[in-house]
Amino acid sequence: MNSSRRGFLRGLGAGAVGIASGAAVTAALERPGHAASAPSPVFHGLHQAGVVTPAQPHATHVALDVLATDRAGLEDLFRTITERARFLTAGGVPPEIGIAGPPADSGVLGPLVPADNLTVTLGVGASLFDGRFGLAAHRPPALTAMPAFPDDHLDPARTHGDLMLQLCADNRDTVVHALRDIARHTRGGMQIRWRADGFIAPPRPSGTPRNLLGFKDGTSNLHVDDRAEMDRFVWLPASSWEAGGTYMVVRVIRMLVEFWDRVGIVEQERMFGRRRDSGAPLDGDHETDVPKFAEDPVGEAIPLTSHIRRANPRTPASEPSRILRRPYNYDSGVDEVGDLDMGLVFVCFQQDPDKQFAEIQRRLAGEPLVDYIQPVGGGYFLVLRGVRDATDYFGSGLLSLT
Amino acid sequence: MTKPHAALLTVAALTLAGLTACGHHSDPAAVEVSRGSCGVGWKSPHGGDQTVQVHNVGPVTMEVELVDPATHGVYAEIESLAPGTTRPFHLVFARGSYAFTCLPEDSDAETGPVVTVKDGPATGAAPIVPVSEVDLGPAVTAYRANVSAGLATLAADVTALRTALSSGDRARAQRAWLVAQMAYSRLGAAYDTFGDSADAIDGLPGSGSFAGLRRIERGLWHGESLPLLSAVAKALASDVASLRTDFARARTDPNDLPLRAHEILENTLQFELTGAADQGAGDGLAIMSANLDGTRMVLDALAPELRPRYTRWPVVNDEVTALRKLVAAQHRGDRWTPVGALSRADHERLDGALGQLLEDLAPIAAIGEVRRTQ
Ligand code: HEM
Repeated sequence: MNSSRRGFLRGLGAGAVGIASGAAVTAALERPGHAASAPSPVFHGLHQAGVVTPAQPHATHVALDVLATDRAGLEDLFRTITERARFLTAGGVPPEIGIAGPPADSGVLGPLVPADNLTVTLGVGASLFDGRFGLAAHRPPALTAMPAFPDDHLDPARTHGDLMLQLCADNRDTVVHALRDIARHTRGGMQIRWRADGFIAPPRPSGTPRNLLGFKDGTSNLHVDDRAEMDRFVWLPASSWEAGGTYMVVRVIRMLVEFWDRVGIVEQERMFGRRRDSGAPLDGDHETDVPKFAEDPVGEAIPLTSHIRRANPRTPASEPSRILRRPYNYDSGVDEVGDLDMGLVFVCFQQDPDKQFAEIQRRLAGEPLVDYIQPVGGGYFLVLRGVRDATDYFGSGLLSLT
Repeated sequence: MTKPHAALLTVAALTLAGLTACGHHSDPAAVEVSRGSCGVGWKSPHGGDQTVQVHNVGPVTMEVELVDPATHGVYAEIESLAPGTTRPFHLVFARGSYAFTCLPEDSDAETGPVVTVKDGPATGAAPIVPVSEVDLGPAVTAYRANVSAGLATLAADVTALRTALSSGDRARAQRAWLVAQMAYSRLGAAYDTFGDSADAIDGLPGSGSFAGLRRIERGLWHGESLPLLSAVAKALASDVASLRTDFARARTDPNDLPLRAHEILENTLQFELTGAADQGAGDGLAIMSANLDGTRMVLDALAPELRPRYTRWPVVNDEVTALRKLVAAQHRGDRWTPVGALSRADHERLDGALGQLLEDLAPIAAIGEVRRTQ
């Protein structure tokens, strides 16, 4: 507990803390009077939770299409999602409705719904700004449909959506409970288009959790506790109705793990530019060592085509394209030839998806890694600003536009 | 380990401990019930979110209701409280009067002392006047008359189907099949309504011997010989005839009606809108429209008793109408769009409208469940 807590304070090992606090919540519920975890992220505020919140171990990313046919219907939908999110993230005892109907709650979390570090994060896609709700004139220029990039294998059934609902919590059942609750209360208002369930592993054996290619993923990232950095790269500035929001890019990227496991370790490590065991850059000894590209102009130690070098060349020119990555592993079944369908739900937050995410993606085009991964779905979404208080609701700023 | 958030942790733990004790405020002493004394020990009740423990100290199992003594409307119920057991009522008590009604097995109902909540919120749990078997009598009569008439129609449609099959004209037989299939689907034969006859008439492959309407559908759309299908249709006609006789003799459990309100369309969602039941015709939406007629028939029968008890009744009506429109939009000329050919947006609209309707139909089963009143 001691070491993982310290790891958390350094901004590392988010997964470890998530697991630890999950266990603490469970323990507190079982044995009242014992220590509980730190309180769950607050729901009300300028920013939505689930962006700079240290990533909880479990998530689902659910793209939805709105069925409401006018503004009033859309407002109803946003208000209902807000109400459910407010209750679910605070936890509590669901109301008993006597003989007036079936139970109000699925019961999946027992009679007392724990908050369990749940965050509910809502984004809107470009398609919400078509003619249906009179919003066409208000689509922020940065909010476009996700383009198809050169090595993409996009499946339309797993791409785009009017809305993106990100649910993250310390335990899987909490995520499932929240999704069922929100869906049940909004059946006529929206329908699920696609979803991707994710998890974050605990540190193995220490440091940043690993992805399903076996590499530590998240070592070099923006610092969520650095307010200035968040304001510079992530949160939208005060000048527009989107102020306090951010852009979210979701990419469902399949990993061809069988193929990958047949690749030699040197080649694997040169593809990323980092050691698989420690996560250290190939020119360093420790995970936290900073790669020194400037001292290695021809890519002797870290190949010029490596993922980390392409993704972040660490030059003044590449600086503005930095992003806050918050990815999850996914693991979901088998394909036609018996290979495993697993990979990464790559999620990142930024002020401008084209100038940041897509800029990196363009630098990554053709990197050696592309033979082992297949982006199959995803979308661009604007994460609305936070719900200010008990009377406010998701999208109130958007719907006040005329 | 240092204790960075000791205070916070304690608060959180205490809150959780209080909640785990069940409910926000719970009465430490359980209210006692037994034959001859229903609700002993329920003093000074407070308003708001409350949990009241009820303990059966008598020797017989009983049903216990928390009621509004003026109207006998039920706030909440415990279906069977066995001797020696304790179970909670958890609800929001508004200002008003409350009493327990005990319905012991094999003896009359009795209502205990009336208590008054003076400090509660203005609105809380709403009492619902229970539905009795007598109340549902007219609904059952109306429903049975409708089903009998529908079975007569089905029998005639099956005769027409047999004629079409013997004519050797496959297209005509396909049209006649849809007419018969819709006549059956209009009866709202969800779950156990028609017992074994349902399988013989409308069974899907995989459940026993595959026969009846869906078997004929498969043959008609997979080039099977019409004389062979005529034999299947002959058996179908006799199964429909025995269903008519059986139905005329059988009793309809009044509890079935409130259940059918959502069960017919639960089947539609599971088997038609998914395409799972389709044997080749691609007429799932036609069947869905017939299922909506069947649901409407059940709702009409229940309306006199349920409309006054269910605040969302008008919403349900609007939703049925809206969904019928959405389904009808997929019927062009004599063609129904196969569910597999629906555009994504149309599919989502149908799924969402049906899902919402089901959510709003489900409470009818709870409210309309026959309860003892004596
Ligand atoms: C399945 C696909 C991917 C895998 C397996 C993967 C894996 C990794 C790994 C192992 C690292 C090094 C550890 C770290 O610093 O976090 C890394 C770094 C990084 N990746 Fe990816 N990644 C993938 C996709 C992407 C995509 C789509 C982008 C953005 C377009 C991206 C952007 C970055 C960035 C910006 C870094 C940090 C580079 C640095 O600052 O040194 N990655 N990735």
